[in-house]
Amino acid sequence: MTTGSDLIAQLERLGDEFAAVIAPLADEQTIRAAQAQFLGKKGQVSEVMKELGRLPPVDRPLVGQAANRVKDTIAAAVDARLVALAAARRAADLARTVDVTLPGRPCGGGHLHLLTQVRLELVGIFAELGFAVAEGPQIETDWHTFEALAIPKDHPARDMQDTFYVADEIVLRTHTSPVQIRTMQGHPPPIRIVAPGVVYRRDDDATHSPMFTQIEGLVVDEGVRVSDLKGVLLHFVNRFYAGSGGGLDVRLRPSYFPFVEPGVEIDMSCRFCRGGGCRLCKGSGWIEIGGAGMVDPDVFAQVGIDSERYTGFAFGMGIERMAMLRHGVNDIKLYYEGDLRFLDQF
Amino acid sequence: MKLVWSWLLELCDLPLVPTVEEGARALTGGGLEIEGIVDLGAGFSGVVVAEVVGKRPHPGSDKLTLVDVISARGGAATQVVCGAPNVPALGRKVLWAPPGATLPGGLTLATKAVKGVESPGMLCSEIELAVGDDAGGIIVLDADDGTPLGARAQQALGVADWVLDVNAPANRGDCLGHLGLARELCALLGGRVVPPAPEPDLEALAADLDAAALARVSITDPSGCPRYVARVIDGLTVRPSPRRFAQRLRAVGVRPISNLVDVTNYVLFELGQPLHAFDWHHVRGAHIDVRRAHAGEHMTTLDGTQRVLEPTDLLICDGERPVALAGVMGGADSEVSPSTTRVLLESASFEPRSIRRTARRLGLPSEASQRFERGVDPELAPLAAARAAVLLARLGGGRIARGAVDVYPRPPTRPSVPLRLARTRALIGVEIPAGDCEAALVRLGCDVIPDGAGHWRVTPPSARADLTREVDLIEDILRIHGYANVPATLPALHVGPAQLVDDIADRARRALAAAGLAEAITFGFQSRDRHAALGLPAGHPRAHPVAVRNPMSAEQAVMRTSLLPNLVAAVARNISFGIADVALFEVGAVFLRKPGQPLDGEPTELCDEPLHAAVVLAGARPRWLGAPQPWDYADARGVLEHLARSLGAGEVRFVAASDIPYLHPGVAARVLGADGRVLGEIGEVHPAARERLGVDGPVFMFDLTLGALPAPTPAQMRAVPRFPASARDVSLLLDDPIPAARVRDVIAGTAQVLVEAVRLAEEYRDPARLGRGKKSMLWSITYRAPDRTLTDAEVDQVHEAIVARLIAETPAERR
Repeated sequence: MTTGSDLIAQLERLGDEFAAVIAPLADEQTIRAAQAQFLGKKGQVSEVMKELGRLPPVDRPLVGQAANRVKDTIAAAVDARLVALAAARRAADLARTVDVTLPGRPCGGGHLHLLTQVRLELVGIFAELGFAVAEGPQIETDWHTFEALAIPKDHPARDMQDTFYVADEIVLRTHTSPVQIRTMQGHPPPIRIVAPGVVYRRDDDATHSPMFTQIEGLVVDEGVRVSDLKGVLLHFVNRFYAGSGGGLDVRLRPSYFPFVEPGVEIDMSCRFCRGGGCRLCKGSGWIEIGGAGMVDPDVFAQVGIDSERYTGFAFGMGIERMAMLRHGVNDIKLYYEGDLRFLDQF
Repeated sequence: MKLVWSWLLELCDLPLVPTVEEGARALTGGGLEIEGIVDLGAGFSGVVVAEVVGKRPHPGSDKLTLVDVISARGGAATQVVCGAPNVPALGRKVLWAPPGATLPGGLTLATKAVKGVESPGMLCSEIELAVGDDAGGIIVLDADDGTPLGARAQQALGVADWVLDVNAPANRGDCLGHLGLARELCALLGGRVVPPAPEPDLEALAADLDAAALARVSITDPSGCPRYVARVIDGLTVRPSPRRFAQRLRAVGVRPISNLVDVTNYVLFELGQPLHAFDWHHVRGAHIDVRRAHAGEHMTTLDGTQRVLEPTDLLICDGERPVALAGVMGGADSEVSPSTTRVLLESASFEPRSIRRTARRLGLPSEASQRFERGVDPELAPLAAARAAVLLARLGGGRIARGAVDVYPRPPTRPSVPLRLARTRALIGVEIPAGDCEAALVRLGCDVIPDGAGHWRVTPPSARADLTREVDLIEDILRIHGYANVPATLPALHVGPAQLVDDIADRARRALAAAGLAEAITFGFQSRDRHAALGLPAGHPRAHPVAVRNPMSAEQAVMRTSLLPNLVAAVARNISFGIADVALFEVGAVFLRKPGQPLDGEPTELCDEPLHAAVVLAGARPRWLGAPQPWDYADARGVLEHLARSLGAGEVRFVAASDIPYLHPGVAARVLGADGRVLGEIGEVHPAARERLGVDGPVFMFDLTLGALPAPTPAQMRAVPRFPASARDVSLLLDDPIPAARVRDVIAGTAQVLVEAVRLAEEYRDPARLGRGKKSMLWSITYRAPDRTLTDAEVDQVHEAIVARLIAETPAERR
């Protein structure tokens, strides 16, 4: 005859057995299976509890309590085992190492040409001052390139820009200034543009390339002054060469370009020696960065703008030279050879 | 031009004489850029003026002389050994380099035995001091030379001086002489220019002859020659110029020849007026006529070259024939020679364009033509003629015929230019005081007449042909006022035209850089050979590039019609440097003749300049720690698809094309937009083309016409899926030639709305398992509904229907 204490003993034995069963188990699935074997509907605890009906009613509560204790024991054992396993897995994971000195897997590696980077930066700086970007054709009419800019045939200024010709009246533009003409022809003032672009001159040495890049600026409005030109250039120089801590000065030096009057060369204080004199500024403390001036009334006449009402300024700079100054490029040819040993440096 | 500092100062009366550096700074600030300063006497040091007080033969050599010199009056004599044949008489001055002196080239002198006799230093020749080319003997100063004993040799030689390299603006012909620069320096520093005043000497050196009787001048072409002044100097002896006079010419870069020639050069550099000296005896009929050449006329210039003339050339003729190409070069027949005794001196002004055209055509730029091209003030001619006559008479021991023949048919009127104070201030942005404006112009030699409040009428000096408009005067006021005194302001911001260009080129560049490629920028022109590498047949739109008329080299012969040749050439260059992975792109214009333009010869209108984006991939891309993987077609296509996506171009399609001359016929496609428009080409560069451009291995490329891409529209959001997707695979066995696109097209043709994505997961050929000419493709199709979770049964049903269509229409078998 089964007694209550027999059943209690069986239940407690099952609790001990379960501990032994799951001790070697190393994954949650088999542990849960073992748990079901003991606690499921057809599990061993249920089998024992089927005997409960045969017990005198007075013994039943004690057996029931023992069964609940065993169930708790088994659940606790499962939890403890799972926690231990998780801890072991985490510990194993944390024991893993990689050779952090191995090279990185190549990623990206593409880049814009230095001249593109500089051009985008320049366009961005002038955009801060409200300049829009304009463009024009590289193969241009003689009229847009010279005549409209007050450089008639036989003008000595044509010597300054030895020109590639395609036909009698068609040239490879020698400067971006024809874009000024096209813009003024197409838009009434106010005008505020920059025109970056490729230009061509018959010149070839370490600092001259037969093709190079200029950026041209043009402002036409009522009341535009020489002082405004100076202010815009000062802003540009200090933004573009901001890496040197700002504080750079601009010097306008009288010069002659047929399409501006007054005309000036633009010098900036040498960012390398800070005006003290060095090899780059040839000891002068100043570095020439471009030409500029107030739009000549003759140019306004060519495009039908009233030069009594409107005034304007224009400036032009070489992008290669800016990049040379800022990045130490020492031969202009390097820009155009597609040599990755150069391109990949920027 | 070269500017001699002492010469400049001779022409200036300045309250405070500047140092050469101060002068250079002032001129540069005034717009006459000084590009360099050379110290003429810097080449040697310690050499002094000494007097010969004794001389006797060297005991050991009949070629050497022992010379006693003193370098201080009453000082002890030093015996120096001298090898020159021209040791002068006692009392003459020589230049002694004592021990410790250094010579050009760096030699430092010491006491040294010469054939057994100690010699403390040496007596110097021109060559040894690098002040001339006379190696025939030591320098002997002129008998009347006043340089004190012991003085620096530089002083005696006229090289205690500086030469400044001036870059005068193209419109400042007046600054191509010392006088013009002196005028500028005086205006900038507040002094007074002092031009040479030859008049008193003209009188003192006058001959008993009358110029008008010795020379008749006529100007047949007054538009080419506004003024012609002639003088005659008689009784001349041709000989070398005095040392310091010659030294000034050397300093400005002219080789001294003889007093006659040197004087014309001297006055050219002093006043900016080119002169020409004719041997009067060779000017037939004592007549000068200025006219244009006749067609087919010719003459021999003084360089001995026979020149064929054109009717645009301006000539100086005597009674019978041309004797000079006006303003460009003299004629051989009338040139001065060592036997010349009477000179007809020409001081004229010529029309700039005419001189420029002739000098250009004949390739004869000269100091004279450069000045005439920029314009020479006609008012300068009489002064220059007088100055040169006096110098000639002095240096050649001659006399000057009385009077000048001065033909000046139409002296130009010099209109005054109105100037407004308010306009001046408004243009500059500075409230310049009225008095300062006026003073600046007066300092520059203008006549300034008040014309009501804040208005003037200004007459510029004749030398300043560049001052014709109010704005020209404002510039000069600003030059004198100083740009440093202009504040920095910003222009008032009024909205102008918005962005005037599409930035598609830069968006393409950014996308291609993000795809891992490096940007190249190559020349817009290229050699004919490079262009020919494309192998384009005649008539092809890219086969007929526009040629450059005057290239500097064969590499600049034609404008590119494709970005490809320069890029493939860049690949070759990189490979030659051992770079294994070349992935380059370029975005830029190509140049195509407009439709309807002739295919060959010069265009009559501008070109189309479409923007292209081209990519080249060659070699193998590096892999992490593994063997590099060669670039292939799929890489090029992947980059292209990325680019198209980045530019918002929508779906692009690829159609195999075997007819593109520069692409491999089996690995090439046209790229089409959703609307069927051709956007570009993709493939492997034809082996013949790449070999011609210097590349041995495969090069994959694509080339898109950016302008053909549809304008991007702002991307519109689609709802983010809320229900899960289901994927089904199908493995197909197909005939090899059937393109992948066919499978896609069939799937698209089912118009099955539940299909979300179609992906080719695997493709392979295996004759043994699949059979010859067959291939296997594993396609993965993703299904999703926007409004519910699809059941397996639903997905299976749709998928099987699609597979059935694939089998029937592709056609294919299921594997």
